[in-house]
Amino acid sequence: MNRRLLAYAVTTTAAVLLAGCGGGGSAGTNQQEPYRVLITGGLSAQGVLAANAATSVLAAQASAEDVNAKGGINGRRIEVTVVDDAGDATQAVTKLREAVASSAKPDLYLNSGPSTISTATLPLLTQNKILSFNVAPTKDSADPTKFPLNFDLSPSPDDQAKGVAAEAKARGYTSIGVIHGSSAFGETWGPAIERAMTAAGITVVGNEEYDVASLDMTPQLQALQAKQPQALAVDGYGAPVGYLLQSVSRLGWNVPMMGDPSVSATSLVTSEPPAGVLGTPQVANLTTQVYKSTSYDPAATRVNEMVASMAKLGQIKANLILAYNYDALLLVAAAAKDAGSTDPTALAKSLEKPAVQDSADTAVIKAYHFTGTAHSPNADPAEFVFVRPSVVKDGQFGHGAGT
Amino acid sequence: MTLLWSGLALGAVYALVAIGYNIVFLSSHTFNFAQAQLVMVGTFVAYTGLVVLRLPVLVVALAATVIVMVLAGLEERFAVRPVPDHQTQLVTTLGVATLLNGATQLVWGGQPLTVPFFGGNDVVDLFGGRVYPAEIALLVLAVALVVGLSVLAKRSMLGLALMGMSEDREAAALRGVDVRKLAFWAFAASGALAGLLGLFVGPKTYAVATLGAALALKGFVALAIGGFGSLPGALIGGLTVGLVESLAARYLGAEYSNLAVFAVLLLVLMTRPSGLFGRVTERVV
Repeated sequence: MNRRLLAYAVTTTAAVLLAGCGGGGSAGTNQQEPYRVLITGGLSAQGVLAANAATSVLAAQASAEDVNAKGGINGRRIEVTVVDDAGDATQAVTKLREAVASSAKPDLYLNSGPSTISTATLPLLTQNKILSFNVAPTKDSADPTKFPLNFDLSPSPDDQAKGVAAEAKARGYTSIGVIHGSSAFGETWGPAIERAMTAAGITVVGNEEYDVASLDMTPQLQALQAKQPQALAVDGYGAPVGYLLQSVSRLGWNVPMMGDPSVSATSLVTSEPPAGVLGTPQVANLTTQVYKSTSYDPAATRVNEMVASMAKLGQIKANLILAYNYDALLLVAAAAKDAGSTDPTALAKSLEKPAVQDSADTAVIKAYHFTGTAHSPNADPAEFVFVRPSVVKDGQFGHGAGT
Repeated sequence: MTLLWSGLALGAVYALVAIGYNIVFLSSHTFNFAQAQLVMVGTFVAYTGLVVLRLPVLVVALAATVIVMVLAGLEERFAVRPVPDHQTQLVTTLGVATLLNGATQLVWGGQPLTVPFFGGNDVVDLFGGRVYPAEIALLVLAVALVVGLSVLAKRSMLGLALMGMSEDREAAALRGVDVRKLAFWAFAASGALAGLLGLFVGPKTYAVATLGAALALKGFVALAIGGFGSLPGALIGGLTVGLVESLAARYLGAEYSNLAVFAVLLLVLMTRPSGLFGRVTERVV
């Protein structure tokens, strides 16, 4: 009798423990339960990384409020948990593991950090069947055969390059010079621009790289100047943008420059003298590529609603290029409506449907093009516009000086 | 000619960092890895004084000189003096460099900040090339410092005491030189110079938290090419690095720029292991 009692006690205890380990934290589909969104970002990171993370988080929080006001995700109210990973992949993985093992396992994970964090967290997310979106794509983060529940929100360098080529063609350029940094992005962007220009029938007269630690780009620019391109396609972020502009002025080269989105994110070109170079001859020939949503347009109702929602919750510290997370929750809400469920696999299937993507009524990028074979947005060239440098207000260009 | 000006100006920046390395090296045989970071702090102080507080140039120059001199003095007192051997000092001064990199990023952020040059910011034509006034000032300053410090080293008691310390610290102490005090003030002087340089280097490089790392390596290469302890060597080494870097980037491609600089360094060290102007000292074995 005692043995039977002992066996019963052991079995019951084991069952309770197992339930504690797995069941309590599962992503339930009970409509009474909140739809748990975990967002990590480098809020305590240094400098611009913190501003970027704060904008990503603000976008997710604003989106949660807006979606909740319309009934939530398939009737479940969104509950956003913000975790500071300091921009560090190890911390992000640790915090994600803690959340997965807790009684409040996330239904959705949003990574607001760099691609190192995407690389570190994606296997863990796939293993635990958690739907995710990330703003920093890796080589295979958009591959559904490897990460079926992950979707990239950021357009690829190829998407951006197609936008630059479309603009160059529209301006009537037939020859272009390219200059890019030795960063991982720059080394991908340089060849992508060359491919896109060639496809658009524009001759690339030279494709020069500079070391991102270099203090002067005169040699590379002089080499391009000798080949007389009609315009320059420029990649750079931070101090190298300043060195590029200084070097172009030094050469007395009056050439139109088309900067990539990272040029627009450099505060030097969006600040007036003496702190920056906005409004000076150095930027007279510069236009930068941004998303349509990042350029202020009083007629863009959907974008302005998003900005108002975000501004209501706090200051928008970085430009809206970092606000992709606003779109993420709209996409999930539309997918849940289509699937009639919040099961992550069902949601992922629905997210691949063009009709679902259209019905999401996204704001940062108007049209995402996720498919069954690629979970990247494949943004149309029409998503991008070129703007003159200007001050940034509420995350948008075109409000003030320099416009 | 524009390319030559660009290379020479870049070389002048490296030379000025190498001169700072040399001032400390001559007095105590310590290699101060944080010297480039002290120049970087000088650019940030110049930015704050000129752009944020809008103070007169002379006041900013004085403030930058004093602030960075105090920082260098603190470095000597807490990261160099308590450490008995020069090898370990490499680690502690590297620690100070890392600390300054992080601190500047925390205080001023990661974005580049413009430091206006008091002599004008418009490009000028000179000897068939185009150059910024700040770059001309950098070149003049580098040459003037080398000439001035060389004269000081040979013609003044202070300079002779420093040279004596450089030759033999114990012998200098026996001849009445307060070696500890002199080493401290040499450290402080290199800091004062770094602070003042902020007003000249900042207009070319911006005040940015990655500047220290960018300057430290090339400054070291300039020193190794010119020879440790040689002031004219620092100037020639710096200008060589700047010119080779620019010409290689122009005619071979940016990917060969650093390779060319290190190829020149290897060539110099293989033919003259103590650098172009370095002195070989005999040792009794």
